[in-house]
Amino acid sequence: MSFNRDLNKGSAELLVLTLLEGRPRHGYDIGKLIEERSNGQIKFRIGSLYPILFRLEDRGPIAGRWLEKDGERRRRTYRLTPAGRKFLQAQRSSWEEFVSTINRIVRPSHA
Amino acid sequence: MPEWFAYVRGQLHLRGFRPEREAEIVEEVARQLEDAYGEALRLGQSRQEAVQAAEGHVADWTALARELEQSYRGRESSMTTLQNSAEDRDFRKGGRFSALTDLRQDVLFGLRVLKKSPGFTTVAVLTLALCIGANTSIFSIMNAVMLKSLPVHDPQHLLVFQWSARHSPKVHSSSSYGDCEMRLTDTSAFGCSLSKPFLEDVRKLGLFSGMAEFASAGSITVSGKGEAHHASGQYVSGDYFQTLGVSAAVGRVLTPNDDLPGAPAVVELQYSYWSREFGGDPSAVGTTIHLNGLPFTVVGVAEERFLYLTPGTVRDISVPMIQRRQLQARWAASREDAGSWWIVALARLKPGITRESAQSQVTALFANDLMHGEKPLAKPEDAPAITLLPAQTALSGVRRQMSAMLYALMLAVGIVLAIGCANVAGLQLARAGARRREIAIRQAVGAARGRLARQLLTESITLALVGAALGIVVAFWSSRALLAFAASNSGRPTAISADLDWRVLSFTIGAALLTGILFGLAPALGSMRMDLTPALRAGLTRGHGKASRFKLGNLLVVAQVALTMVVLVGAGLLVHTLQNLRSLDPGFATQKLLTFSVDATLTRYKGERRAQFYRDLQQRFSALPGVLSASFSESVLLSGSLSETDFHLPGTPPKAWAQADYLPVGPGFFDTMKIPMVKGRMLNQAEFALEGKLEDDPKAAAKVVTPAVVNEAFVKQFFATVDPIGRPFGANGPAMTGDPDTEETAGWTIVGVVRDAKYNNLRREVHPTMYVPSGDAGSFELRTAGDPESLVQAVRAAVRQAGPDLPIVGIQTQAQQIDIMLFQERLIARLASLFGLLSLLLASIGLYGLLAYEVTNATREIGIRVALGAPLAEVLRGVVRHGVTLTAIGVAIGIGAALAVTRLLGSMLFDVKPSDPLTLAGVTGLLLLVALAACYIPARRAARVNPLVALRHE
Repeated sequence: MSFNRDLNKGSAELLVLTLLEGRPRHGYDIGKLIEERSNGQIKFRIGSLYPILFRLEDRGPIAGRWLEKDGERRRRTYRLTPAGRKFLQAQRSSWEEFVSTINRIVRPSHA
Repeated sequence: MPEWFAYVRGQLHLRGFRPEREAEIVEEVARQLEDAYGEALRLGQSRQEAVQAAEGHVADWTALARELEQSYRGRESSMTTLQNSAEDRDFRKGGRFSALTDLRQDVLFGLRVLKKSPGFTTVAVLTLALCIGANTSIFSIMNAVMLKSLPVHDPQHLLVFQWSARHSPKVHSSSSYGDCEMRLTDTSAFGCSLSKPFLEDVRKLGLFSGMAEFASAGSITVSGKGEAHHASGQYVSGDYFQTLGVSAAVGRVLTPNDDLPGAPAVVELQYSYWSREFGGDPSAVGTTIHLNGLPFTVVGVAEERFLYLTPGTVRDISVPMIQRRQLQARWAASREDAGSWWIVALARLKPGITRESAQSQVTALFANDLMHGEKPLAKPEDAPAITLLPAQTALSGVRRQMSAMLYALMLAVGIVLAIGCANVAGLQLARAGARRREIAIRQAVGAARGRLARQLLTESITLALVGAALGIVVAFWSSRALLAFAASNSGRPTAISADLDWRVLSFTIGAALLTGILFGLAPALGSMRMDLTPALRAGLTRGHGKASRFKLGNLLVVAQVALTMVVLVGAGLLVHTLQNLRSLDPGFATQKLLTFSVDATLTRYKGERRAQFYRDLQQRFSALPGVLSASFSESVLLSGSLSETDFHLPGTPPKAWAQADYLPVGPGFFDTMKIPMVKGRMLNQAEFALEGKLEDDPKAAAKVVTPAVVNEAFVKQFFATVDPIGRPFGANGPAMTGDPDTEETAGWTIVGVVRDAKYNNLRREVHPTMYVPSGDAGSFELRTAGDPESLVQAVRAAVRQAGPDLPIVGIQTQAQQIDIMLFQERLIARLASLFGLLSLLLASIGLYGLLAYEVTNATREIGIRVALGAPLAEVLRGVVRHGVTLTAIGVAIGIGAALAVTRLLGSMLFDVKPSDPLTLAGVTGLLLLVALAACYIPARRAARVNPLVALRHE
């Protein structure tokens, strides 16, 4: 089963922000990590992930920087900004509230 | 390594970005693609595969560009107003574009989901294909018969002259060939056959730019081109084709010059007749063919689309009206006067003349002709009038006769479609249960409920459209098969082309959309509802949701059973009707009887010579090995032909008339047909010989009392209290009526009485009938020892010996003749049964599906009950009870609905009431039996539930 189509902007942003929480990452790595951690249930193609990165950077929660290594082309690395950190916390708690509410409805009662 | 930067540059067209920003975006996307490419290579893919994998990361570059532009917009405050507005416009365009992209995505996603559950998809698509196909098929025939416009130029401005009066006008002959509806009763009368003199007067009014007059010329013998055969002909006025706006495919159409006195004898061929008999050879034009033995030059072939003018009536050849006296040897002079109505007329108004004014002028002329003509035909209180009706509605042809059947069939297939909808809806519901988790998660991660509902609806409609596409294939074949069946069983060409035109296709697409929405609505609404239960209903358990879904499932099954009941009862009644008609004793032996007509027109024999010819043929046939006896009559019994005669009954007032069916028969007729003699004697050789002599001498014939054999109904009605043998009847003359115009007839005398036998039609009651000696009659009956069809070759050989080039018409067994007569009954009984079985199948699948779903869901509960020691039989009974209860409720509702609906069948039934208890009981039994079978498999499964496994199920 794949949930890609139903991820709304908010949820997708939440995933991206979460992955940048520990350390900066390249754009392509973020997509791969999401796929790995969701056991392939959520796949981010570049065509759908890049606009999220672009938007997040545009609005402030993340910042991108070009990094050059010897003998390689430069690549853009994204990291969480302080504003992004606060934004992530707020997003995460409202998500958890949402999920537990949904679960109360969806989970079968074993009474 | 591919140059990803250039690739992205080529694909991604951004607008409104600063060049540096745009370059950065292109570079970043290119780097990511390069990463994807590199990774694919590392995973061992070939270069080409790796390129494909990378490129696959961006499916829609335009969408990506739009999305980036949208995010960027708010930030570019320095943009000029002009740029902004230009961008807004683009954005609006983009918005529309993305809605379309969404739809495409929905459809593609829907197809993917459907592909994932092939079992469901196959059953649903097949169900829909059958249901929609059946609907399209019946609709295409309905379209052909009732809706298609006439195949002429500008059909909506073509008018038909219909006359009406309060009493039947006193015409001496009135012919109608089924082109339009006609009624001649004492309370109301109308029709569209008119007299030649009246139509000539109408032309003189100068109201019309053209008039197309036509009349059937009946069956014409065509020779001089291959084997002699019969063709259906019509007489047409010279401006017939011009008025209709029909042109010629080859040669020319008839013109007014062809219809002038002394004009050369010419004929116009109908396209399909030309293809059939002349192999579509253009050189046929200009050749001479013989019609009833007279030479006619073929001047042209009418254009292909002009298949018919009257729906269902094909006329192979058109001959100018002026030729009627030559072509029909026995054309009565009286047919030319104002009291003989036989021509149907169509006309187009001259520019500037309204229909109302034309109608009132023609009515004035008509009333004047009728009331003040040479022989007044009507009185002022009869209010004779002419109405100018649109040809499309007035020329009804087979429409009236077929419309009841078509409406009944349309209703039946409509119900089948409803059952199919309920079925697929039930399947969807069961699947919605299984997809609940998926839908819940999708909602949780943020899918809007409107979007989910839309997705589900799109899925349903996609499913319905796939079903419809297959359904069109089903319809294409089935309507063709249906028409082929009709053509080979109705005994005449159908002149119906059930092409899939725009009307049929829009019907199908409409049906598919409606179907998709109908069966998609329930699950879609279900998904919306689920979302509408917020935290305040947190206590809601799965059990509740199941219960409401089950109620809907139950409802669907009950509806299916009830609807199936309606279709099955209808089918049962129609099959019953067919059986009643088939098993009906017509009063003579129908097996081992070969019938056909020999047309002796070409011999040009008359009187005694002609009678001799028929007697000679009769002897030849009798002598054939395998023939027990042979006879002839004016027409074959149960072929639809009927003659009636009015006569004066002794002891009644001078102007009172009695009526009886009338059939001239040859020697040995009653023996051959096995109609038993009840009293008196048969007609003898001397009487036949005398009749042959008198055939062409009406004056002498009028003075001779004709011997007649009558049936029991005749005796019962006219001579119930006396010995009928030797009784005279029917003598008439001026001396009796006091009217010098009364025709002198010597009447008949009864020599024998035979048992009642059906005449023209199985459905018609046996009327008083008189059989009189015939010297010459065209139809032969051969009673055979073995299979009548094995004699066909011998019969043809015998006719060839008697006289070359005589057409044998309609050679078939009496049983085949009856089958042709019952064609419509057979067709509708067969189709109704087919639809009945289809409904039954769908309903049983629906019931099975519901119960199977229920058992799956209740596995845990069943497991507990079995673990606690409930006997298996009880578990089994529980499932079956549920199924049978639903079926019983459905049957009860269905009986009520069937009683309401089958009353519409009224006139189609024979000897069976719409509320026939036997049919109702039979159908109820059948439904319950099938329901039991449908319950059995899920019940077995429930009984096999292993308690341990079941408890682990959660």
